[in-house]
Amino acid sequence: MAQLRIENLTKRFSGQIVTRDVSLVVDDGAFCVFVGPSGCGKSTLLRLIAGLESADSGRIFVDGRDVTDAPAYDRDLAMVFQTYALYPHMSVRDNIAFALRTAKRPEPEVAAKVAEAARILQLEPYLDRKPATLSGGQRQRVAIGRAIVKAPKLFLFDEPLSNLDADLRVHMRLEIARLHKDLGATIVYVTHDQVEAMTLATKIVVLRDGRIEQMGSPLQLYDDPDTLFVAGFIGSPKMNFLTARLQGGYLSLSECDGQKIRCPEPGLALADGAGVTVGLRPQVLGRTGDQSLEGMIEIVEHFGSDSLVHARPAGSTRLLTALVDNGRELASGHRFEARFRTEDLLFFDQAGQRIR
Amino acid sequence: MTPGRSVENALLAGPLVLFLLAVLGFPTVLSLVYGFSETGFQTLTAPEFSGLKNFRDVTADPTFWQAAWFSLRFGAITALLQCGLGLALAVYLAPLARAHGWTVAILIIPMIVAPAMMGLMYRLVLHEFAGPVPHYLYSWFGWSPSFLGPANVFKTVVVAETLQWTPFAFLLFLTAYQSIPQDLREAAAVDGTRPWRLFWKIELPLMMPTVFVALFIRFIDGFRVFDNIYTLVGAGPGGSTTSISIYIYETFLRRGEIGKALAAAILLFATAFVLLSVAQRLLRGRAP
Ligand SMILES: Nc1ncnc2c1ncn2[C@@H]1O[C@H](COP(=O)(O)OP(=O)(O)O)[C@@H](O)[C@H]1O
Ligand SMILES: [Mg+2]
Repeated sequence: MAQLRIENLTKRFSGQIVTRDVSLVVDDGAFCVFVGPSGCGKSTLLRLIAGLESADSGRIFVDGRDVTDAPAYDRDLAMVFQTYALYPHMSVRDNIAFALRTAKRPEPEVAAKVAEAARILQLEPYLDRKPATLSGGQRQRVAIGRAIVKAPKLFLFDEPLSNLDADLRVHMRLEIARLHKDLGATIVYVTHDQVEAMTLATKIVVLRDGRIEQMGSPLQLYDDPDTLFVAGFIGSPKMNFLTARLQGGYLSLSECDGQKIRCPEPGLALADGAGVTVGLRPQVLGRTGDQSLEGMIEIVEHFGSDSLVHARPAGSTRLLTALVDNGRELASGHRFEARFRTEDLLFFDQAGQRIR
Repeated sequence: MTPGRSVENALLAGPLVLFLLAVLGFPTVLSLVYGFSETGFQTLTAPEFSGLKNFRDVTADPTFWQAAWFSLRFGAITALLQCGLGLALAVYLAPLARAHGWTVAILIIPMIVAPAMMGLMYRLVLHEFAGPVPHYLYSWFGWSPSFLGPANVFKTVVVAETLQWTPFAFLLFLTAYQSIPQDLREAAAVDGTRPWRLFWKIELPLMMPTVFVALFIRFIDGFRVFDNIYTLVGAGPGGSTTSISIYIYETFLRRGEIGKALAAAILLFATAFVLLSVAQRLLRGRAP
């Protein structure tokens, strides 16, 4: 098990920068998730770590060893591919044993480790089958089995759950979390799904256009996002954003018929008249709080224990979503007063940077 | 299947069956008739049934067995050489072929030349007295092998055939090699697999069906070889390069023993057919 350190890593594909001066540390035993919208360079960063792409500049260290120029076969990592990439001509057993045989481990040891992996992943009944005869979830487990028998320094996962159906995805998410706990392995995991990121990670790295937008623990990112992008990306349902203008201690919501919100004390460090984006999580909108916004309910989604209200403030083009406890009496067409506490407001400047 | 359907099928398949009968059936039937008859150029219109006599003649002819042995050796050796070289070239040149597709076009030029033309060209180039190759070997080293002499002629025709048809195997293997999903190579690399092991354990096994097909096609083609050898050396010194096809041709035209020639042709066809069926069965058995 090992620590991963990346310093100023940059990668271009035919002139276009895909990884932009990325520096980060993944501690021994951490579960680090790269998250971001599709195309932001998550896979490329992972493939750079694996040695499947070569860096244009910057360095990669695994356990202090500089592996930047080492070929993939010399990095002692394991990777689970989005496509699983199982060897189609080998049985499940041979697929799992492949890395150990490559490392010339003695055959009794290989057999023992394969049996152990098959037990953990409940693959025992399928060991003699070819990958083509397995279901998506089973292939996924074989791919994981192939990675864990090596006991590598570092596990790399590239969107391993994206090809599974919803139920199986939730199940495998738990399996991977359990695996991390049991093996104590250092894991780097790529996904575009922020729920996966929030539930699995000990550390999240939010990527945007090849740059690190922000990194930290899941709750840090949720509670204290540095940018509009992170605030909008992390958290479900998505944060509400309202455009506003600062007017003497108040924020006038230009899109909501000029409804006003009081600024927190001692006020925002901005000139009067400056444009501000106000962020409000659906979870902080409810029936209590010292301020409120009014609107008409258009749609309510009842989840049973709580309800997601989509309300339109008068004159607004955007819907405000609120996650309300026990909102059974709410229905579309009703007037809705969304109350919140001043300290739950987040503010962002025109460039999308957080104003604290 | 409903009766209406089978009528429809018959209507649809009818023209194809007729066409196949016309193209394949007529010559086949004629060959069979002549093969089992006492036939000469004088009796072509009125062949006289003679049972298995032609086949007895052929199988009693040591020249036939010599030709069969030549074809077998020639087919096997050239198929192995072409597939070995083609495979090495395909793997070695795959990155180049990916970056510059036109390089493949250059490599397959030999395939486009008519084999008879190839034979004639080698005949010029290797000619004992006039050919440029022996000439320069003599003037540089003072020595040249007799390429078309009894000692070397087999090697010469094997090399000529291999040079011409290796591109065929190369092309098949290149396609097979390029269709191996890249993520399998990447998965193997991350699993610690060095290039050599990658080839033996992942790439070659995945290309094996293609290797079998290529070996088989090249063997059959080599086994039936005619034009390049015939234009290069004819039947060869002491009949040493007489392939089955050349044997049939010579028996037919030189000696006018049409029935015997056709009996040999039928034997050749039957052998090829049996080999084809066996190979097909083997291939199907191996498929995942
Ligand atoms: N081999 C490649 N050649 C050229 N461009 C590439 C290559 N791989 C990725 N890219 C580009 O780099 C960007 C990031 O890709 P990727 O890392 O796969 O994104 P993600 O995994 O976050 O969806 C994309 O715009 C993609 O088109
Ligand atoms: Mg990706």
